[in-house]
Amino acid sequence: MNSKNKFKLLILGVVFVTFFWITWVTFNPSNSKAMATFISVKELTENNINKRIKLGGLVKDGSINISKANQLDCSFVLKEGLSELVVKYGRTRPDLFKDGSEVIVAGQYLDGIFYADELQTKCASRYEGDLRNENSYNLSEIEQ
Amino acid sequence: MTPVAGGSALSLSFGFSLLTVITLLIYTKNQDYRLFLVGQRLALGVSFFIFIATFILSYQLIISNFDIDYVARYTSIETPTIYKISALWAGQSGSLLFWLFILSIFSTITIIQNQNKHHELMPWVIISLTITQMFFLILTNYVTNPFKPTEADFIVTNGNGLNPLLQNITMAIHPPTLYLGYVGFSVPFAFAISALVNRDTSPLWIQSIRRWVLVAWLFLSMGIILGGWWAYQELGWGGYWAWDPVENASFMPWLTATAFLHSIIIQEKKDMLRLWNMVLIILTFTLCIFGTFLTRSGVMSSVHSFTESSLGPIFLSFVFLILIASFGIMYIRLDDLKSPRKIESFTSRESGFLFNNMVFVVLCFAVFWGTLFPVISEAVRGIKITVGAPFFNQINTPIGLILLALTGVGPLLAWRRTGAKNLIRNFTFPIISGFVAAIFFIIIGYKGYAVISFSLCVFVTVSIMTEFSQGIRARTNKFKESVFIALVKMISKNRSRYGGYIVHVGIVLMFVGFTGHAFDREKEFSLQIGQVDHVAGYEFELINLSESERPNHYAWISELRVSDNQGRFITNLYPEKRVYFHKNPDINRRQPHSELDIYSTLNKDIYSIFSSIDNEKGIAFLKIMINPLVKWVWIGGYVLVFGTVIALWPRKEK
Repeated sequence: MNSKNKFKLLILGVVFVTFFWITWVTFNPSNSKAMATFISVKELTENNINKRIKLGGLVKDGSINISKANQLDCSFVLKEGLSELVVKYGRTRPDLFKDGSEVIVAGQYLDGIFYADELQTKCASRYEGDLRNENSYNLSEIEQ
Repeated sequence: MTPVAGGSALSLSFGFSLLTVITLLIYTKNQDYRLFLVGQRLALGVSFFIFIATFILSYQLIISNFDIDYVARYTSIETPTIYKISALWAGQSGSLLFWLFILSIFSTITIIQNQNKHHELMPWVIISLTITQMFFLILTNYVTNPFKPTEADFIVTNGNGLNPLLQNITMAIHPPTLYLGYVGFSVPFAFAISALVNRDTSPLWIQSIRRWVLVAWLFLSMGIILGGWWAYQELGWGGYWAWDPVENASFMPWLTATAFLHSIIIQEKKDMLRLWNMVLIILTFTLCIFGTFLTRSGVMSSVHSFTESSLGPIFLSFVFLILIASFGIMYIRLDDLKSPRKIESFTSRESGFLFNNMVFVVLCFAVFWGTLFPVISEAVRGIKITVGAPFFNQINTPIGLILLALTGVGPLLAWRRTGAKNLIRNFTFPIISGFVAAIFFIIIGYKGYAVISFSLCVFVTVSIMTEFSQGIRARTNKFKESVFIALVKMISKNRSRYGGYIVHVGIVLMFVGFTGHAFDREKEFSLQIGQVDHVAGYEFELINLSESERPNHYAWISELRVSDNQGRFITNLYPEKRVYFHKNPDINRRQPHSELDIYSTLNKDIYSIFSSIDNEKGIAFLKIMINPLVKWVWIGGYVLVFGTVIALWPRKEK
């Protein structure tokens, strides 16, 4: 075999191994958190899916309930359109998590409750949202 | 009035860009040199008006002219001046203008630098650069104009202000650095396209862009590292890389660019891999535009992305246009791209480079696959599957380790062919060192990838040291120089080679840092004053809780005393819980922020986050992470920059 063919074979080999490896990892991820299915709250509650799920929605006003004991365990109601779902989460919450904030959660759904192990907030609406009308800062206050 | 001037400058620039392209296209047909001069000057005019527009917007940001929508959205009166300037790249339309601004600097430098050089190539170089400018001019003129006047039925007396997370000096530098990298590849790409059109197959144009590629690569690398550093210092999840779509977007062109940096050496020295180099530079440039697209379009949900916008389809069309046009020209010119020489043997430096290149592209493809998997899966199966960091870590770790190994193998191979004798001579010591290291790491209880990675780091380091010591020995024997003088002279006589090796050392150090991630520990707990808790052999005692009101925020500060398991004092940490805009009567507009405190040593970082406070009972809720070896990532970054600068340092003209 001349060297040109050898190199063609090498390249083919690399392509084949790559293809195999990527397909393998895609279908057999070693970590259960490697992939999550993104669906709507409505689909989830109607179909009772038992996979790792990602959901997006708004935190319902007044629904946040933080454990007094350790300030970590918390539950809140996630609203997406008309659908609502109770979410439980037990780790440090992001700074921007509050009533009405837009969040993405990932975790498992079990008997009507969503157990999240990831909670992300979207960037504060403040920075992309409407211009502010109120004189929320008095200049005198700032100059103090 | 001034906003109008800014908008007009952008419109004029767009007009000039059209004229530039038309004039130069006519020139390429009729070869009337005066037309070339006109085109060149028009192109300078395009950039000139972009400079004007950028300066106007910056000035308006500084003087807080809230009549401009952009100024009102991203700054407020109390924003410090430096962040008023950095607000130029904080929002969508401003950052697109900033992209243009950098491209215009590069374009101007290219035109002036090559006034008396590359007469054949320059027309198409300018055309390519101007078309890229034109694309961004269309966006800033017609889709998202940074000079759009404020539309509100009230008088805007103060703006929204810049996100406190972005009010950080690293965050002011990270985007421009990254942009300098992204945009920098426009120039080599323009030369490549021009070389294709002109059927210039000589390695000459490669030589003239080598420095550009290195500069762009340096900025891209620095931008990526700074981004990681910022995330680590500010975001409080204890990591520096999350395989977020936008991080991937900057990593993909970095990978192909790194491959290109290696393979142009082959074209320069051996005139091989012409076609491959074309493919790499086209991919790199396309990925740079694609990266900007991922950041700006909001297609992917990410911490970086802006709200969804109409930019997506336009960006995608431009990406496809680049791909179709460049690969189209390449196909037509396929005959010219056949390299006259072939690689002779597997055990040659050339084949080492080729293999390294393939692995880089494979890694790039794996990242691309993971990043676009949600989109692909939704299109094919109608199910949106998101892919997380564990997926990328699993798929990329082995590929990364192969690359690390190649970093050590490459320099040991000779050009053309390495004979069996040399193979044994060159490889014996590094391989034995690697094995001894592996046995050592297994004995002290490390497992899996950590053992492989650390041993490879030893193997590569020894291999690079061998290169250095051989070079030094040759000089000390021949010129009777001292070791130090020999080292300095050897490096300065062969800057790109030894600069490159120093970059490799930087990469090895970074791998040491990456591997440390396998040993991370974390714990969340609450403490009252005087109480203690333990994490991974360290003791944390809450000494004090205090409050403080500062100019733009209110802070609760916890004072933590950290000691080791024998009770020896290590450090005090002061993580803070802050509320920005705390005077805002609307509670929803106040913004909490956790300011971390990190105790960093070469061995490990102790990373503390003050996540919340119970004021009534005086309880602090904390998250502590022990992150081994992280500092090596940053040290490796410095070494990488140092090596690249050596490789870039110009020779004295003889």
